[in-house]
Amino acid sequence: MTRARFSLDGFRRGARDGVPLAFSIFAYGLGFGLVAAQAGFGIGKAVVTSATIYSGSAQLAAINLLQTGEATLWALFATVLVINARYLLFGASLQPWLWQAGKLRSYGSLLLLGDANWMLTMRAIRAGEEDRAYLAGTGAPITIGWLLGTALGAAAVSSLPRPEALGLDLMLPCFAAGMVAAMTRKRSDLMPVLVGAGMALGVAEVFGPAPAVIAAGLAGGAVAALGAGGRA
Amino acid sequence: MNDSFPLALAVMAAAALLCRVAGFTLMRFMPVTPRLEAALRATPGAVMAGIAALALAKGGLAEALALGSVLVLTRVTGSDVAAALIGVGVVAALRWAGV
Repeated sequence: MTRARFSLDGFRRGARDGVPLAFSIFAYGLGFGLVAAQAGFGIGKAVVTSATIYSGSAQLAAINLLQTGEATLWALFATVLVINARYLLFGASLQPWLWQAGKLRSYGSLLLLGDANWMLTMRAIRAGEEDRAYLAGTGAPITIGWLLGTALGAAAVSSLPRPEALGLDLMLPCFAAGMVAAMTRKRSDLMPVLVGAGMALGVAEVFGPAPAVIAAGLAGGAVAALGAGGRA
Repeated sequence: MNDSFPLALAVMAAAALLCRVAGFTLMRFMPVTPRLEAALRATPGAVMAGIAALALAKGGLAEALALGSVLVLTRVTGSDVAAALIGVGVVAALRWAGV
């Protein structure tokens, strides 16, 4: 099997595209750092947490649980598993493309996988991106933003402007909306999008935002699969 | 809890890693049928629509106007990135104005 391209050029393209979202992740990191500081984490502990778990939503939930004082290891494991279950979907959708880079490169790239760069990479794949280093490239500025934000937040740098005032908390949803608008060209593209949005709202109402995103992906995928069956 | 924090961190990191690699690994052993391919192709759009819808439901008028302008601007400018950045500017301006 000839391996797909995995070059510095592709890495650079990804890194460049990742920069705007890295600002929003930086703001998110600030938020986590502040929460961690309030929970008694020092800067070092907060940064190590961000580096090893590498998922803001999971880390916030874990801190919440730790603060109750009743966090067992199983409860922590289960919490992270439930909150990050959407990554199962992210990984699955990347596999046909990413796997062609070879085992080490694809699993290495997955270590940097997050919501923002999954979105960017799926968009790039649709646009014909062939270089598998793109995913790792998008992860680079995002990782820097995430760790830097965590460190500054934990250091309680309160003189920084609030991220909400700059609209940074809405960066990821704005990118998501823009990508949906750009991707939805055919009538057959519209149904999974509508089902996904509806499913997310319905599930969030009952079970909260973490399962809502997974449900959106699964429902949208199921609708598309049914449609594909009809055409075949 | 302080003594066992490294252990707790290792357990949480393992769960996060499992989520990152498990879906990917499973797909290596699944035959990619046209149905599955269609499902995987549609997943990003559905997830992103879900993320945007949740932000819309959680936010107020400023957020709704910003997200709405992103949808329109993406079609008008042909650039989703430019539209998203403008959308962030729109929500910042509206919040500053007190909307």
